[in-house]
Amino acid sequence: MTPTPHPIAAIVPAAGESRRMGRPKPLLEFEGRPLIARVVSALLEGGARPVVVVSPPGDSPEGPPIARAAAEAGAAVLTPKTRPAEMRDSVEMAIEELKQLDSPPAAVALAPADGPGLDGALVVRLLNAWRENPERIVIPTAGGRRGHPVVIPWRFMNEIPSLPAGVGINALMAERAEDIIEIDVADEARIADLDTPEDLQRLRTGEGRQARTVRLFAVARERVGRSEITVELPEGATVADLRAALAEQFPPLAPIAARVMIAVDSEYADDAAVAPPGASLAVIPPVSGG
Amino acid sequence: MVEITDKPLDYAALVERTRHNNAGAVCAFLGTVREMTGGRRTTALDYEAYPEMALKKMAELEDEARRRWPIIEAVIAHRVGRLDLGEISVVVVVSCPHRKEAFEACRWLMDTFKEVVPIWKRENWADGRVEWVHPGLPT
Repeated sequence: MTPTPHPIAAIVPAAGESRRMGRPKPLLEFEGRPLIARVVSALLEGGARPVVVVSPPGDSPEGPPIARAAAEAGAAVLTPKTRPAEMRDSVEMAIEELKQLDSPPAAVALAPADGPGLDGALVVRLLNAWRENPERIVIPTAGGRRGHPVVIPWRFMNEIPSLPAGVGINALMAERAEDIIEIDVADEARIADLDTPEDLQRLRTGEGRQARTVRLFAVARERVGRSEITVELPEGATVADLRAALAEQFPPLAPIAARVMIAVDSEYADDAAVAPPGASLAVIPPVSGG
Repeated sequence: MVEITDKPLDYAALVERTRHNNAGAVCAFLGTVREMTGGRRTTALDYEAYPEMALKKMAELEDEARRRWPIIEAVIAHRVGRLDLGEISVVVVVSCPHRKEAFEACRWLMDTFKEVVPIWKRENWADGRVEWVHPGLPT
């Protein structure tokens, strides 16, 4: 058997507590299977080897069932003794594991454990896009919004442990903004992950969240490279929800999302304010006219 | 009167439109592009506005100033786009019956403008670097 050119591994951090969901997200079922099993299968079908899942600790109620579902789907499961504080910690644990392989992977597909729409065909497409651009970070987008999985060259993965304390993997994306290529996959449901039980319900019933246009100015516009973006927000979203969505869906905005003002219909709005449908939304970095 | 324009600001004409027989005092402030900032040399500034909101905020400032002082005429005008050294970026003119209220209103308008109006400047440094000026934001 000839070795696969450019072996690409996958890391699925699944150790987090999912407080907002009421029950562990990786165990939510979609089309009859737990999400963690669906994600592992999609990554394997797409050609990622090995698929490393970092499960919650064994003494947590959800740890053993997540580990079992992942292993049955074909993943290599790492079970930390204590719950990693951040997603980054889980990823670093998986990087250490991949370093033990006879030959480390050429790249890593990083996928959340709760992407209900991920399928093997999409993984194939993203891995192929990376093989054509092996120096770059490949990120799927739909409607201008970024999603998962992202494919990251191994040498960049090795930078994650040396990122400053307290920053997440988004910091790598911000630092490596020039190395990113975006692959438009058209259908956002395939690359989205879940934030609330309602998200899954909407996905099951085919209801989307609301796509909202947000104007960007000055450094915010430059960071993203456009003056207008489309952000996906839940119904009844507040300004605080918008900040979170900006940081998550547009990683270059993550370092500033908490420190800009948000304008709703040309008025400064505080975090508790609702951003009603149809209102014009804008990111206002600290002003400097005069 | 409030205005955002990408054309040079004609400060003489703007001052002229505030003059009035009941105004014994006309106070004008011009903001101009400075070359040296803390030892660094600027070659030009770029100004960007969120025009709809900036005009709304500028009109609110004028209304509030008129509530606080006996203003006869007021002008708040800002330029956007590329400005060379020495060019005028902002003009604030206030006419009042007496100088004390004209000085006070003009200063309050300019100080508050810099805090609330969504307009931003980007420094073009002589060493080739460009940098948005966002007080308090990590670079």
